[in-house]
Amino acid sequence: MSLSNELLFDNIDEPNLKSIEVYEQRGGYDELKRVLRELPPEAVLNELQASGLRGRGGAGFAMGTKAGFLPKGDMDKYLCCNADESEPGTFKDRELMQKNPHQLIEGMIISSFAAGINKAFIYIRGEYEEQADVLEAATKEAYEKGYLGENILGSGFGVSLVVHRGAGAYICGEETALLDSLEGKRGNPRLKPPFPANAGLFQGPTLINNVETLSNVSHITKMGGLKYAEIGTEKSTGTKLVSISGCVQKPGNYEIDLGTPSREILFDLAGGPLPGREFKAWFPGGSSSPVLTPAEFDLPYDFDSIAAAGSMLGSGAIIMIDDSVSMVDVALRTAKFYKHESCGKCTPCREGTSWTVKMLQRIDDGLATPMDLDIIESVCEQIMGNCLCVLGDAMAMPVSSMVKKFRPEFEAHIEAARLARTPLDDATLADEINLKELAAH
Amino acid sequence: MAENLPPSSAQHDAGNVTTAVANPTHLVIDALPPGYSSKPAGEPEREAIIFTIDGAEVSAPAGLMLVDAAKYGGVEIPVFCYEPKLGAPVGACRMCLVEIEGIPKLQTACSTPVRDGMSVVTKSPRVIEAQNSVVEFILANHPLDCPVCDKGGECPLQDISYGWGRGKSRFTEPKRHFEKPVALSPSIAIDRERCILCYRCVRFSQEVSEDYQLVLLERGADAHVGTFDGTEYIAPFSGNIIELCPVGALTSRAYRFRARPWDIEQGGSVCSMCPGQCNVTYTVRDEKVMRVLQRDNHAVDDGWLCDRGRFAYQAWESEARITQPLVRQGDKLLPARWGYALDVAASALKKAGARSAALAGGGTTNEEGWLLRRLLIEGLGSHNIDSRRGGKLSADVARTLTEPDVTLSIPDVEWADAILVLATELVDEMPILDLRVRKAVNQHGAKLAVATARPSSLDEKATIAARFAPKAVDAFAQALLRSIAGEDLGDLPTRAGADGEEIAAIAALLNGAERPAILWGEKVLYYAGGAAPAMTVANIVDKLGVAKTPGAGHMQIPVQANGRGLREIGFLPNLGPALSEEGDGKSSDEIAAALGDEVNALILMGVDPMVDYPNGAEWDDALAKAGTVISFSTWLSGTAERHADVVFPLEVGPEKEGTLTHPDGRLQRLRQTVERAGEVNAGWWAIDQLSSRVGLDLGVKVVHQATAQIADGVPIYAGITPEEVGGTGVRWQEREAATNRLAPSRTTFDLPEPAAAAEPNGRLRLGTFRSLWGGGDVENAATLAPLVSRTRVELSPADGERLGVNTGDSVTLNTDSGEVTAIVALRDSIPTGSAFLLDSRDDGVRRAVAGSPALVEVVK
Repeated sequence: MSLSNELLFDNIDEPNLKSIEVYEQRGGYDELKRVLRELPPEAVLNELQASGLRGRGGAGFAMGTKAGFLPKGDMDKYLCCNADESEPGTFKDRELMQKNPHQLIEGMIISSFAAGINKAFIYIRGEYEEQADVLEAATKEAYEKGYLGENILGSGFGVSLVVHRGAGAYICGEETALLDSLEGKRGNPRLKPPFPANAGLFQGPTLINNVETLSNVSHITKMGGLKYAEIGTEKSTGTKLVSISGCVQKPGNYEIDLGTPSREILFDLAGGPLPGREFKAWFPGGSSSPVLTPAEFDLPYDFDSIAAAGSMLGSGAIIMIDDSVSMVDVALRTAKFYKHESCGKCTPCREGTSWTVKMLQRIDDGLATPMDLDIIESVCEQIMGNCLCVLGDAMAMPVSSMVKKFRPEFEAHIEAARLARTPLDDATLADEINLKELAAH
Repeated sequence: MAENLPPSSAQHDAGNVTTAVANPTHLVIDALPPGYSSKPAGEPEREAIIFTIDGAEVSAPAGLMLVDAAKYGGVEIPVFCYEPKLGAPVGACRMCLVEIEGIPKLQTACSTPVRDGMSVVTKSPRVIEAQNSVVEFILANHPLDCPVCDKGGECPLQDISYGWGRGKSRFTEPKRHFEKPVALSPSIAIDRERCILCYRCVRFSQEVSEDYQLVLLERGADAHVGTFDGTEYIAPFSGNIIELCPVGALTSRAYRFRARPWDIEQGGSVCSMCPGQCNVTYTVRDEKVMRVLQRDNHAVDDGWLCDRGRFAYQAWESEARITQPLVRQGDKLLPARWGYALDVAASALKKAGARSAALAGGGTTNEEGWLLRRLLIEGLGSHNIDSRRGGKLSADVARTLTEPDVTLSIPDVEWADAILVLATELVDEMPILDLRVRKAVNQHGAKLAVATARPSSLDEKATIAARFAPKAVDAFAQALLRSIAGEDLGDLPTRAGADGEEIAAIAALLNGAERPAILWGEKVLYYAGGAAPAMTVANIVDKLGVAKTPGAGHMQIPVQANGRGLREIGFLPNLGPALSEEGDGKSSDEIAAALGDEVNALILMGVDPMVDYPNGAEWDDALAKAGTVISFSTWLSGTAERHADVVFPLEVGPEKEGTLTHPDGRLQRLRQTVERAGEVNAGWWAIDQLSSRVGLDLGVKVVHQATAQIADGVPIYAGITPEEVGGTGVRWQEREAATNRLAPSRTTFDLPEPAAAAEPNGRLRLGTFRSLWGGGDVENAATLAPLVSRTRVELSPADGERLGVNTGDSVTLNTDSGEVTAIVALRDSIPTGSAFLLDSRDDGVRRAVAGSPALVEVVK
C-alpha cells in the first residue's frame, strides 16, 4: 500500500485547515520565515533544482530549471500559478486550493523569492467559485499577517498576489493563452519563442507553474532538495496527487510516491473495478493521454515509464474504462470536448478536431465504413505536432490510440450501427443533416 | 495587386530576388523594399549569413524570417496568415511548416528567423504531407464557390491549393454554414463561410490601424470575424482588410460582381486627394475605374490606403461631376463648347492683362502649375500667382525648411526614435502618415509626443500629449524652442494656454533623441502670426542640430495635395523655380483684397478659396467683385457655382498625366489609365489653349513637353524625365541636381513676440478642424457619403455640464463673425474652455469662422 499522504495531503482533512490560524498552528509559514531569514535566493533555487521536482500540470518540465531561466536584474518579474485545472478527469488542484490554500501561497512566496519575482497571480478557472473564494480569503489573511506585500517580515523582499478568475475556457490552461487572458485579451496561445521566461506576462519575464507544483515548494526547502529527491524514482521525484475517476470502486484524489506500480493504485487505492466488471482501458494522465490497456497495469506510475509505454503521466488524472463502456462513445466524448475547447487560431486543430467529431458521430449514426477509421487515424496524424499549441494533439493522441488499440470494437460498432438504421432513417438523412447544422448555429 | 499574388511573383516583379548562385559568399544582398533608394538611417544593419535551403547554399540577411530568406534561394514557402506589414508573425495558419535540421518538430517558416548555418528543407515527403494536410484542412469548410466569388482568379487560396494541395479531399461531412454575405460596413461585405480564419483583418484592426473594432468571435470551428457588438466597421483605413484577405471572405461592396480578373486591366498611378500621395493601382473595365488598390511603395505608403483614397472613385462616375465647360449667361451657368468657353475666358484674361491672377491647389500637377505660371507671367505680365495662404514666405525661410539635411523622408519617420506631431491631425490631413507613426511606435519603439490644440487620435500612442489653446501654436512653438535651448519660458506657456511641464517633457524627449522627427502642419501658417511658426520650427531644427544626423529632421504637412511641388516650381507671388527670388506679385490674401479693379480676372486651378481657405466667407464677398472668375473644377459648388463666369471641367486622378511632388520631395508620376469622361480635356491642354489665345505659344503638344520644360527650368528638378520618376518615384534630394538648390542666407530667425491666447471671458476659445470625410469626392461616393458629418461642435464634459448640453443636442454658436447651428459632441479629452467646430463648406460655418474669431459663445 503506497498511499503516502506524507506531503501535500498531510492532514488534508483537518478542520479549517484553510484558515491561517490552523495552518500556522501546524507550522505553516515557519518555512517562509526561515527561508527569508537564512537563505539567499540562489540557495532556494539550488534546493528546487536538487529536488528534481517536475511540473505537475502536464508537461513535466523540471520546475527548478524553469525558475532558473528567468533573467536576473531589476525589473518586474511575474509568477503565474496555473489554477485553470480543466483537463477532464483532473480534480487534484481543486482539493489542494479548497482545503489548504496557504500551502500554495507559501510555496508561491518562496518561489517568488527564489526567482526574484515581485508580482504573482493565481489564474483560477471560472467554475472554481468556491475555491476562488477560499483563495481570496487566504490571500487577504496572508497580506494581513505581512506574508504578502512589500518588505515581507522585514526581509526587504516583497511580492504581491492577485487571484484572477478565468471565464471558463480550457485553452486558458495553456500557459501562453493564460497570459493573454490574464492581460485581458482573448485567451489564445502565443507563438513560442519567445518563451514566457523571457517575454511572458506584459512582455516581462514570467514563471508559470501548476498549483500542485507550487504547493510542493515549502516542503522541498524544509526537507532539503536532495532529501525530497529520495522520494519516488530517480527521474520522477517526490509524491504525486492522482485523481482517479471512471469505473472504479473508490474514485478520488490520492497522494502516492511516484514510481508506485499502477496496479497498486488502481486496485489497492481505488478498489478495482465495480462488481462484475472488468477494466478494458485506462487514461493514465488525463483525457489527453493515449489510452493504455490492462496489459500495462504493472507499469510503475512515473513520468518516464508511462512515456515509454507510449502515453503520458500528464496531470496524474487516471480515468478507468470498464467493459460496459463503448470505446466509440469514449472517443466521441473525448473528441467533442477538444473540438468544443479548440480556440480556432491554428488550422489543424480547428478543422481537425471538428472533422474528427463529425466522423466519429457518423460511426454512431450508422453512416460510416471501416475506411473512415483510416481517415480518422490519418487526420489525427496530421494534427499531431503541426499545431500552434498542444490542444490539437490532446485530442489526436487519445482518439488515434483508441482507434488503433480497439479497432475491432470500432469496426463492430460501425456494422451494428449501420444495421440498426432503418430505411426511413436514410430517407430523412438529408433533412437531419440540415437540422443539425441549423441547431449548431 | 502585388499583395494578392503569391509572394514569389510579387518579389520577382520588384526585381529584388537573387536566385541561388554558385558562390554564395559573393552574393550581393539587395533587400531594399520598393521605393527605397537606400536604407533609412535609423534602420539597423543586417549581417549577411549563409544557410542551406533544399540543398542549395544561399546568402540572406540575418534575422529575416525563413519565409522571406527562402526567396533568396528562389524557394517559395506558401503562407496565409504571414504578412510582415502586420507586425510580429502569429504562426496561425500552419501553411509554412518546414523541416529544420536539428529540430524534431516541423517549424513555421514565418516565425523562425534565419541563422547562419541553418539547414532547411521545404520539399521532403514529411513537409509535403504537412502542406497537403493544411490545404485539406483549410478547404474542409471552405465553400469552394470560386465560380461566383470575386476573388476567383486572383486568389491566394486558389494558388496555394494548386501549388501545395493534394488536389483531392477526403472530407465528406456537411460544411460549416453561416449567413452569407453580410454587410460588415457600407463598404465591405463579409462571407464567413469563405473565411479561413487567418486573422489578418483582425490583426490589421488591432495592431496597424488600431481602431480595435474587428475581433474574432466564438471559438474553434465556430470562430468568425466580426465586430464586438455587431455594429458596422467604420474606420479611416477599413478598406485595407479587403486586400489583406487571402480569400474571398472580405469583398468590396462597391466592386462586388462588377468584374472578374480576366475582364480588367490594372493601371498604376498616384492618388492626388491629399499630400499622402499614396501609390495606387486602378482596376479598369471598359474605360471605367472599378476599384482602387494599393500599389506597395514602402517609401510612400507602406502598401496601405485610406478609405477615401480607396472608395472616392465612385464619385467620378456621379452625375454631380462637371464633364463639360460651362459659361455664365445672366445668373445661370450653361453648357458650352470648348472653343466658345476658351474664347470667353481668354478674352477676359487678355482684357485684364497684368490685372490677372491665378491660384492653384489640390491635385494640380507640377506641369499644370508650370504652364499656368507661364501663362500669367509671360502671357499676361502678372506675377499674381499663389498656391498657399498666410502671406508670403521669405526665400530664407522657405529654403531653410527645404534643406535636405533637415528634412525627413517617409522611411526616416518610421525609424526616428522620437517623433513630435505638432499642430496637425494626421488621420485627417495626411492619413497614411498616421499609420507610419503608429508603426514607428509599435514596431520600432519610437517615443511619440503630440502637441495640438484639439485632442489627436495619436494621443493614445504618445508618451506626452500636450495641449495648447486654439490658434496659440505660435506661443507654444516658441516656448518649446526655449525649453529645448534650456532657456526660461517666461509667460509663454500661459500665452499658449499650455502646461510648462509638458513643454519641458517634449523638449527633453527631443533633446535626448538620436534621430528626432518633427511633423508639423503647414496650416498653422494660415491662422497664426504669418510665417512665425515656420521660423520657430526652423530655429528648433537648428537648435536640435539635426543637420548633422541622417534620418533626423522635420516634415511639413502641406494643406494641398501637391503643395510642395507647386511651391518648388515657383507657383508663388515672390519666389520662382527652386525658391529663387523672383517677382513681386500679390499673395492669395492680397489678391482677395484687390479683386475688382486692381485684380480683375482670376483663374482658380483645382482650388476653391471659398471652401479650401479658412477665410472662405471673406472670399465669397471678394469674388463677387471680381470681373471674371475662371474656375477649373470637378464639382459645381462653392466658387464655381456662385461666382465663376467660366467653368472648365477638371480631370480626376486616373484621367490625368503629369507629376506631383510628395511632402518629402519625392517626384511621383500620375499616369492616365482611363479615357476622360464626357467632354473633359486635360488641364495642361486647356491652359495651352488659353495661352495661344492671348498670344503666347507654350510649346506643348503633349504633357511630357511640360515636364521637360520643368526639367530645364527648375534647377532642383534638372534633367528629370517621366522615365526616371518611374513607378516608385524619386526624391530630388537624392539626385545630383539637388546641389543646384539655393542656400538660405540664414537658417535661424528673429522671432516676433507671439500673441497670447484669447481670454475666454465667459465664452469658449474656438478652434476648427477638417475631417477626412468631406469634399465632393466623399459626398458623391455612395460608400462614403454616409460618413459625412453634420456640423458638429466638440466640447469638454465640464463645459457641457456648465452649459446644460449633452452629446446630440443642437446648439447655436455665436462668434464675432456670425452664428451657426451645430450638434454637440462631448469628448473627455477636450480641454475645458475650448470648443472645436467641424469646418466644412457649409455656408453658416464659413461665415461663423470668417476672420478666424478667437472666441465663441455656445447657446443652448
